[in-house]
Amino acid sequence: MRATILVLQFVGLSGMSTMLFADNPVHHNGVSKVYEPYVLPLERELELRTYYQTDDDPNESDILRQRIGYGASINEKVFAELYLNAMKLPGGSLRLESYELEGRIQLTEQGEYPADWGLLIELERERSESISELATAILVSRQWGDWIGTLNVGVEYEFGSDVDNEFETFLSAQWRLRYRESLEPGVEFYADEYTRGVGPVLTGLIRGQGNRKWHWETGVILPLNATTPDVTYRLLVEFEF
Amino acid sequence: MRSPQQVATISSRISRVTAMLMLFLIATDVVAQTPEFEIEIREHLFYPSELRIPAGQKIKLIIRNLDATPEEFESYELNREKVIVGNSQGIVFIGPLKAGEYPFFGEFNPKTAQGKVIVE
Repeated sequence: MRATILVLQFVGLSGMSTMLFADNPVHHNGVSKVYEPYVLPLERELELRTYYQTDDDPNESDILRQRIGYGASINEKVFAELYLNAMKLPGGSLRLESYELEGRIQLTEQGEYPADWGLLIELERERSESISELATAILVSRQWGDWIGTLNVGVEYEFGSDVDNEFETFLSAQWRLRYRESLEPGVEFYADEYTRGVGPVLTGLIRGQGNRKWHWETGVILPLNATTPDVTYRLLVEFEF
Repeated sequence: MRSPQQVATISSRISRVTAMLMLFLIATDVVAQTPEFEIEIREHLFYPSELRIPAGQKIKLIIRNLDATPEEFESYELNREKVIVGNSQGIVFIGPLKAGEYPFFGEFNPKTAQGKVIVE
């Protein structure tokens, strides 16, 4: 509860600072995924993420983003994943926009301390422009009975000859009920320089043969400020093997 | 380039996030002394298959995999999954839990590797 209050305080305070950065860059949407701080050895996965946004501004509506990734654990504490990120603008076709390498590090054993800690490191490179992003985030998760609270807080450095080099901060959070393995409802919140969004999510796990698993997440993120799209639908499917 | 005012704002936000993380940590409990229990995996079975632990107390479970093949200790009820490579051991922290039975299984051999934690 205290963590929830702190998140809500952050929402309110950061909402005021948004006024200093009122100009939203074209097609920016900070809705992503809330990462948990856990790594399993011998794990491999294929991942597909889809984001679709609508907005009253026709230039920011009917935009589809897709992200395909392959990841594998390097050891029992480190997981690495390579992504291809594509985007489809209104009236256009799906185009490959960027490549991304991501590393997730489990810092503490699950349940050893009152909260579980991890680290996320991402390096993204645009395909057609000289723009790169290096980001790192702290991943924190804690269980309260049947509820799980997860917080990702990070800093991103954007650099290249086609962009003003700058630091940006971002935060995402999830509050989820462990209802049953195949269906866990929750709420997610996303914040960055321009984005403030919150909305319901559903997640779950479907078991296949042996250690094969399908993990899925879907949600609808609604805006808390004027520079966030009116609706962002998100879907994630991971095939773990 | 950012103006000095914008840089100050970003710096203020980073400080706020850091303070929030520290408060999140402080808001959590103090780690107490943790009793240890052991389970062995042999020929794709858990020994013992029933583990009795005290209610309301965190425990440290050491899982020794004596098989040459990996096994995954998994339990949705315990909210734990841990892969233990062949001929090695893994540590799983469990609880504090309410009294009751919490089943677990070996994900790589789910038909044979089954057990439960009995909290009393």
